[in-house]
Amino acid sequence: MSPLLVALLGVLLVPLFVATWRTSLIGLGFQGVLMALIARQLESTPHTVGGWLALVEFGVVRAFVAPLALYSVLRARKTPGRNDVIPPNLLSWTLALGMVLMSFSFAELLVVDSGGQQTLVAVAATGVLLGFLVLATQSDPFSQMVGALRIENAIALLELGGKPHGGPVAIQFALLVVFVTTIAFFRWHLVNAVSVRVTEADQGGGVEGPTL
Amino acid sequence: MSSLALVLGPAMVSLGLGIRGVRARATLILVGTALVASVLAYVSALSPTTAPFLAGYVRVDATSRLFLAVINPIFFGISVYVWNRVATTPVLAAGMPGFVALALTFLAASNAVLIANHLFILWLALETTTLAAAPLIVRPGVPASQLASWRYLLFSSIALGLVMLGIVCLARSVEAGGSTPTFFLDQLESVSVVCTNNWGKLGLALIILGLGTKLGLAPMYSWLPEAYDQAPPAVTALLGAIQFNVALVVLLRVVHLFRPAHPTLVTFELLAMGLVSMVVSTVSIIATRNMKRLIAYASINHAGVIAIGLGIGKTASYGLLLYVVSNAFIKAILFLTAGKIKAHYLTKDTRQIAGLLKDLPYSGLFLMVGTFALLGLPPFGSFFGELLVLSALVGSGHLFVFAAFCVLITMTFVATGRTIFPMIWGEPRHSHTWPRQTFLSALPKLFFLFALVVLGIYIPPVVNRLVQQVAASVEGP
Repeated sequence: MSPLLVALLGVLLVPLFVATWRTSLIGLGFQGVLMALIARQLESTPHTVGGWLALVEFGVVRAFVAPLALYSVLRARKTPGRNDVIPPNLLSWTLALGMVLMSFSFAELLVVDSGGQQTLVAVAATGVLLGFLVLATQSDPFSQMVGALRIENAIALLELGGKPHGGPVAIQFALLVVFVTTIAFFRWHLVNAVSVRVTEADQGGGVEGPTL
Repeated sequence: MSSLALVLGPAMVSLGLGIRGVRARATLILVGTALVASVLAYVSALSPTTAPFLAGYVRVDATSRLFLAVINPIFFGISVYVWNRVATTPVLAAGMPGFVALALTFLAASNAVLIANHLFILWLALETTTLAAAPLIVRPGVPASQLASWRYLLFSSIALGLVMLGIVCLARSVEAGGSTPTFFLDQLESVSVVCTNNWGKLGLALIILGLGTKLGLAPMYSWLPEAYDQAPPAVTALLGAIQFNVALVVLLRVVHLFRPAHPTLVTFELLAMGLVSMVVSTVSIIATRNMKRLIAYASINHAGVIAIGLGIGKTASYGLLLYVVSNAFIKAILFLTAGKIKAHYLTKDTRQIAGLLKDLPYSGLFLMVGTFALLGLPPFGSFFGELLVLSALVGSGHLFVFAAFCVLITMTFVATGRTIFPMIWGEPRHSHTWPRQTFLSALPKLFFLFALVVLGIYIPPVVNRLVQQVAASVEGP
């Protein structure tokens, strides 16, 4: 599991330094693929419906559906390639690397025995913290979506590392449906974001038409 | 079974709106479904508490019964308001099928949160309320509402992500304690190891931060004024009076898991979040001249009071619940009244509105009474609720918090009065001819007002018992 987790850590970090929106989406895709592989390794009974559903969630939805949903919008809009997920300066990069170190120290507190579980918690914590770093430094909807999806992926990774809770497949399926719906809403907002120009009348007490 | 019907009924009607013949009657269907839901909610509220059923996934306890009886009538009131708006403004009818489908999904999910006994189902239902509400915030042709909807969705996604992370940490906490992980609330209540380790504490902190964001508590409150301001008033009422309470119920349930063994575990954190929220909202109330934003900031203020009450626990619990229930009705009255006022004056700028009691007598009256209740004046339930929270602050020795609370409440009182009172009693600035306000359009708000006064003057024994039961579950040992 550790080589996969190390690869996942790399996939979390690289898009922060290679500032294009394509790299961000490829990074999200790779996160999904790597989590599917980790799920495959961890799952003791891979041939259950729940096991297959987990593979679909990571290997299909998180790896391809989510990044492609956003990619199609940006490509259709002919968005310039450059997109800083965090501000391109030494302070941000130091913060990002500091967060990685902090996550590993944090994992040592939570999981006493060093090994796969500790690394998994450290990588998940890194994902959450770097996701927050992206959210805290960006106001552009696309970058915010990338930040939110990074956090969602990290949460899924942490959940993956715990003991199977034996919940019914229906709940697992419902969680997947909610995730897909969230992606659909993200896409919808990304499509509409280009037309948003906030006028003074919208912000203050301007004249508006009838509404519920 | 009536509680289950409160989830399945609205959900099925929402799906049924896909049928073309049904869509033409969407508004009537909304009112009808909301009326049936209100009746069923009262049947549930009067029924005894049940043991978990449906394989343990559903549980109707005192908390479910109390809040079912609060949110469903409020939804009915909002649906009557919507029906009246569509009847008086026919151009709104075109978008009704979509609105009704999403609003009923929102209601079904809200009721599901209240009766769920499984943390994942609780989370799923809360997320569904968010996904149903996000498109409702958008008003066609108003770009700022699209931005507000996005910010609402983003903050809610992050907030609920934190809650999910917290739930996963709780499961790890149980696992680390040597027990089998479970997500059933009734089973977690009996697992004494919850939070005796770092995983448990981390889980609780994340859940409080996530739900605090949903409630509009500092530090992650900035989505709330924008979403409440930009959403249509009916949707703002849904968010402020219904979703707020549903998120609060989740917080009460989680706090209940920890309180028996650790009564003071998050006291400081909740007091700090509450006070900071009150400071932020007071400053914003002083600065704003936008009617809906003012009520939105008052919501943040209320969330602060609630966090403080929850932080103290013990003797504050009863007052806290009175305050919470009263505020649901206050917000419904104020947001719907703000909608009515905006529909007539076509502005939210408080400086452009004056002499409401002469211009729009019903709306002026509701704004006046709603503001009095908002400020915590007698004889409303909010007054007694606030008084009991203050008394508990003194009783528990939190004198600094008590002093800060009093100063902030006084500042809020002056700032709100300075902005709202000229709207009510001033001289009308322009001569307007309004269509006559019908009694029917005022009926839901009259009911909310009646409930507010009842909570302040005489609480019926059945309601009192219910509130006491919920308070007992919140206050811990």
